[in-house]
Amino acid sequence: MSGEEEENDAELKIGDEFLKAKCLMNCEVSLILEHKYEQLQQVSEDPMNQVSQVFEKSLQYVKRILSRHQLTEFELCVLGNLCPETAEEAVAMVPSLKTKGRAHSDEAIEKMLNDLSLVKRFE
Amino acid sequence: MFFHIVLERKMQLHPSFFGRSLRKNLVSKLIKDVEGTCSGRHGFVVAITGIESVGKGLVPDGTASAFVTFPVKYQCVVFRPFKGEILEAVVTLVNKMGFFAEAGPVQIFVSKHLIPDDMEFQAGDMPNYTTSDGSVKIQKECEVRLKIIGTRVDATEIFCVGTIKDDFLGVINDPAAVA
Repeated sequence: MSGEEEENDAELKIGDEFLKAKCLMNCEVSLILEHKYEQLQQVSEDPMNQVSQVFEKSLQYVKRILSRHQLTEFELCVLGNLCPETAEEAVAMVPSLKTKGRAHSDEAIEKMLNDLSLVKRFE
Repeated sequence: MFFHIVLERKMQLHPSFFGRSLRKNLVSKLIKDVEGTCSGRHGFVVAITGIESVGKGLVPDGTASAFVTFPVKYQCVVFRPFKGEILEAVVTLVNKMGFFAEAGPVQIFVSKHLIPDDMEFQAGDMPNYTTSDGSVKIQKECEVRLKIIGTRVDATEIFCVGTIKDDFLGVINDPAAVA
């Protein structure tokens, strides 16, 4: 625990190793893990037995967080890549936010953008 | 938070596994040894995504061990919680001391003292913490945004302590659930 007293995520004291590392957004993680899972499915009939509990839990977790936002992974990645600052900009870039009868309110969109910017802070 | 990092490990392989499938054997042993494990420094190794390099094998001096050591550099996805980090977790257990929540492979405990004062514990079939007007409820399976205030590492997992007493923390409103 000795090294941990100095760590503080809020002040970006997370160790050189992690400051230089690539942070992954939940949508990126779900893509990687799903891809790996599919690869395992091709090799064996019961991929669930082959993956560790850590893998399973992580996959379930990211899928759950993503589904709460009610956006497809693609939309989430586009928003993450482009970092629009206002809801108007976001809808211009990802028109499907307002179609498909899902009608995300401007407030909900602003909230999602805030969440994304929290993550972007590290990059 | 999830990270994509490069780690190095010295893999030991018995010469009986040498031959055409040497690399394949090394990689499957690496995956078996490392995926799902946890260290204080890197957190949980969730999945190995690629092998960067396999160094030259080092044959040990003497005859004590026949195992040859190969330094392997590999890329992997890790989950490493940090003190001060804010993340979302799913509540798994509620009791009068506080509640437990899970974020991926990590368990986080939020003590009663770090739950806003206006929330009281209600025992019963579905124990929960509720505000006096019943507008906000924390119970099993609900999602909360919390801040990690401390981490502890033991041999196989990282355990965290968190708070929901700050601004913008607490139960995440799911519009679908409200309706």
